[in-house]
Amino acid sequence: MRGFASISALSRHFPRSHYVLARVAKSIPVFLAIAVCNFILLKLAPGDAADVLAGEAGSATPEYLAALKSQFGLDQPTWAQLAHYVGRLLRLDLGWSFRNNQGVLALILERLPATLLLMIGALGLAFILGAALGVLASRHVNGALDNLISVVALLFYATPLFLVGLGLIIVFAVHLGWLPTGGLTTVGASYTGLRFAVDVALHLAMPLVTLALFFLALYARLMRASMLEVFNQDYVTTARAKGLSEGRITVRHVLRNAMMPMVTMLGLQVGTLLGGSVVVETVFAWPGIGRLAFEAVMSRDLNLLLGILLICSVVVIMANILVDLAYAWLDPRIELAR
Amino acid sequence: MPRSLTRRFLVGAAVVAGLGLALPASAQDAPIRGGTLTALLHPEPPYLLSAVDPTLQMAVVTTKMYEGLLSYDLDMKPRPLLAESWKVAPDGLSYVFKLRQGVKWHDGRPFTADDVAFSLGVWKARHARGRQSYARVTGVETPDPHTVILRLSEPAPQMATVFSSYESPIIPKHVFGTGDLLSNPAASAPVGTGPFRFKEWKRGDNLILERNPDYWDTGKPYLDRVVFRFIADASSRAAALEAGEAQIGALTPVPLSEMARLTANPNLVATTSGYDYMAPVLLLQLNVRNKPLSDRKVRQAIAYAINRDTLTKTVWFGYGKPATGPIPSVVKAWYTTDGVPAYPHDPKKAEALLDEAGYKRGPDGKRFKMQTDPFPGGAEFTRTAEFIKQQLGRVGIEVELRTSDFPSYVRNIFGEYNFESTPMYNGAFPDPSAGLQRIYWSKAAQKGVPFVNATGYADPAMDHHFEDAQTQNDPKKRWQDFADMQRQAMTDLPVIPLMEMRFVTLANRRVVNHTITADGLIGTNFANVYLATPNPAAPK
Amino acid sequence: MTGALAFCRRFARNRAALAGLVLLLAILLMAALAGVLFPDDPWDMVAQPLLWPGQDGEYPLGSDLMGRDLMSGLFHGARVSLAFGFTATAAALLIGVTAGALAGYYGGLVDDVLMRITELFQTVPPFILAIVLVVILTPSALTIVTAIALVSWPGVARLVRAEFLSLRGREFVQAGVVLGMGDARLILTQILPNALGPIIVSASLMVATSILLEASLAFLGLGDPNLMSWGTIIGAGRDALRSAWYVAALPGAAILVTVLAFSLVGEGLNDALNPRLRNR
Repeated sequence: MRGFASISALSRHFPRSHYVLARVAKSIPVFLAIAVCNFILLKLAPGDAADVLAGEAGSATPEYLAALKSQFGLDQPTWAQLAHYVGRLLRLDLGWSFRNNQGVLALILERLPATLLLMIGALGLAFILGAALGVLASRHVNGALDNLISVVALLFYATPLFLVGLGLIIVFAVHLGWLPTGGLTTVGASYTGLRFAVDVALHLAMPLVTLALFFLALYARLMRASMLEVFNQDYVTTARAKGLSEGRITVRHVLRNAMMPMVTMLGLQVGTLLGGSVVVETVFAWPGIGRLAFEAVMSRDLNLLLGILLICSVVVIMANILVDLAYAWLDPRIELAR
Repeated sequence: MPRSLTRRFLVGAAVVAGLGLALPASAQDAPIRGGTLTALLHPEPPYLLSAVDPTLQMAVVTTKMYEGLLSYDLDMKPRPLLAESWKVAPDGLSYVFKLRQGVKWHDGRPFTADDVAFSLGVWKARHARGRQSYARVTGVETPDPHTVILRLSEPAPQMATVFSSYESPIIPKHVFGTGDLLSNPAASAPVGTGPFRFKEWKRGDNLILERNPDYWDTGKPYLDRVVFRFIADASSRAAALEAGEAQIGALTPVPLSEMARLTANPNLVATTSGYDYMAPVLLLQLNVRNKPLSDRKVRQAIAYAINRDTLTKTVWFGYGKPATGPIPSVVKAWYTTDGVPAYPHDPKKAEALLDEAGYKRGPDGKRFKMQTDPFPGGAEFTRTAEFIKQQLGRVGIEVELRTSDFPSYVRNIFGEYNFESTPMYNGAFPDPSAGLQRIYWSKAAQKGVPFVNATGYADPAMDHHFEDAQTQNDPKKRWQDFADMQRQAMTDLPVIPLMEMRFVTLANRRVVNHTITADGLIGTNFANVYLATPNPAAPK
Repeated sequence: MTGALAFCRRFARNRAALAGLVLLLAILLMAALAGVLFPDDPWDMVAQPLLWPGQDGEYPLGSDLMGRDLMSGLFHGARVSLAFGFTATAAALLIGVTAGALAGYYGGLVDDVLMRITELFQTVPPFILAIVLVVILTPSALTIVTAIALVSWPGVARLVRAEFLSLRGREFVQAGVVLGMGDARLILTQILPNALGPIIVSASLMVATSILLEASLAFLGLGDPNLMSWGTIIGAGRDALRSAWYVAALPGAAILVTVLAFSLVGEGLNDALNPRLRNR
């Protein structure tokens, strides 16, 4: 697993900030490799951005098409386009989105907060609720509560995301009218302060729950398993022998250690969640990065898609660094590797 | 007799009437001021400059801000907009427009003849259809700030229908006059003359327009704001209309399968008017380059084998009408069935034709295999392909579906001619020179250019009908050209017209006057739209 | 032998796992009998469109938008969806086990290179990568399986690598080395069989996620248009979700049951392999 792999070589006196810098530096070749691989991959796709714009227009002339192609630089040979792209990337310039007629970085930064909000919210909810349910289940192994928790969690895990989402819309937005059907805010309301936060929270509720329910099962089951694992460890037996109460053992000794696989899972899931949000963002018209990526593929907006994949990798790698830091915090015996 | 558009266009100069005359009977009450109209739109346009890009969805937004010289009412009669009157010379070689005075751009600068001349240059050079429409315009004169004269090398009768806000929007010269059009900030934040001004655009979410207080038609518009919301999922769009979060959606905003349920909702009204300008027709285009589709008998057999009535009722839920030819019946000026071969559903005849062509059923009951690429424009097109697969399967043609996304589709069909058949649609437009010439004329074929002749069909007689019609100033002769064209198109069948499509505008009952032109929400500027009761969705 | 017997006994004691196994067998039976019970093409438009379940005895589960028999669609869909799940999993296992085994067995540079590649794949959001791949290769059974396999293998690779790392140093492997066994033989006959347990557990879950992935792709319109999978039916029924929710809900329920079955069986296998976890 990821967390363990990077903690292989122990180095005693290594400051945390240096560790982060070193990890970031190590990631740069990964970013470049991702950019080049994606570029080549996307160049294999039939059709390009000029085809899309001309096609959407419903009619075009050869001159119109040629003008589009030269404007987008698509008349250049592929290697020149790649060299140009990498050159710009090294200057931290993500380029221009032709489909959106806007700078890629600006476009992504505009959409990223919505996705991060959804992602962190959903992961947070799934993590906390999953941990709680997992602890509960582990305290009643094979009992009625344990079975109930695993059945409910599994049911949510097994239901396709879009069905959950559309079901929620029908019940809570259309029939009950409690929540808005989609979007990030009430359009045109221009709320500020607390009113704005409440507005966003209302819009966030359904997509967040939809996404969280899916991941809930994983965390609940993982927590239950790792709690059981830790309960079997020697030091717990020792604690028990010392006459400590089960509740105290659970909180003091087991919980903290049982959290470690959970944290690892959290790091692994960031990428999955960024992608999984495509469906949820589609259903709830959530103006996030997943939907943007989908549209970028469909319109061959190469710069934009490459930019999104790159930013996603940045988010994933950053999340993993955080996970490693959390590891060190959870278990002081672990030192951060170079 | 042909009801010539050109003639109507000529007399149009006498009718100097405001758009207000075209109000439907339901709007007799005094309009209510204020409120926000929220409209659904998908897909989100890349930028907002219809002067170069005729995408329908883009125009739904831009025509509220940019206006054309004229608008065309529900009967396709031209009405004044930025031009107060106009005249076409009897020889068809010059057009004179008298412009409305006192019109201001949203930035306060006056609107003049220079802007029109500049815009015409843009349409002619950059607009995907404008190049063809204005090809014969050789000179533009602006004798005074409120007069524009177009000089033509040859008559171009199709020009009678192209001066709308959708087809030929006027853009400000002082904003777009220098530099590249699309990298101009105004390409995404319009500065127009229309009743609404651009306010803000949150990409992926919404776009807000606000009332232009200095609009030339004093007292209008009635609405304070128009908001466009971009919702990618069709079921979610339906939910937004039902929940009252949005009040209107153009271009069939919800799946047709949901229409029965939604139209039963007392708050919602559906209309199929306002799309006659586009006149969309569902077609099955066939690649006639290779066997067996190169054989006319095979193509006729396919036409006989497909039950268009069932297609219309089942796949399109009745939102359409079986097509009788390439020109749909809504294009009243040119539509005819006189002498045009018809292909009623007749599988036996289809089988006989296929036998005759030498494609007999093999031991497995199959004659040959045919690939079909449904247009990536929604589930209805995929279901059309599935329907065709079933129907042709019954006469022994095995159909295989290939679905692709938009760029792949464009590249396969129009870039590489790598296809056998494709159910797709084409706007016939009010004038066949604009809408149909591109798919039947052999010289319209341009490898790589989307939505022009991709079938490989080339026929000198067909070419002649179109070539004569595009500069034919005599309406009678022109009508004959198009009648002959329709007969030949239905004999040769490089393209099988399946169904006249009926796009739907779905609106809340409170929204009044949303469809008052032939191009509906795509071309109407919303100056006359109001909400019959206060809009609860508006912020308090 | 006794080990296997004990394993089966442990598995059978787990009621949830048994229930999963029964469900799984039922679904496999559905797939097997599809051609017998419904010999006609599931794409045939046989009934009036949008018949509700129970409305017409001849079509007990009703019909879809095009008047196709949903019961027939569900049975044939079981076949297609399971085939998607199994082939994608098999392909992912092939890549993942190979990469993981090589990395874990050889270590050093091989390990480094393979793990960097794995990392690369894990850094790009898998679902977006799957979409990109399917779009680029145009949607068909082959491309969908390829895409699912390509986004699923890194997990397997890491798991197998970890197993190999811990098994490598064990006595029986060392014994093999002393006996002069070649690398290939050691990997295939000594280490891999001992790592099989966790691989099978994760494979059973991968079948489930592959079926879900295929359905999600179909929901976005990226399914194979010539094969009627459960995802295809959902994709088509999605348009009538409000008027005729059963069209999407029935295959949705089928997916739910299948994923549930695989998860329960996977969990049961896991518990049976690690008895310590269950009875602390």
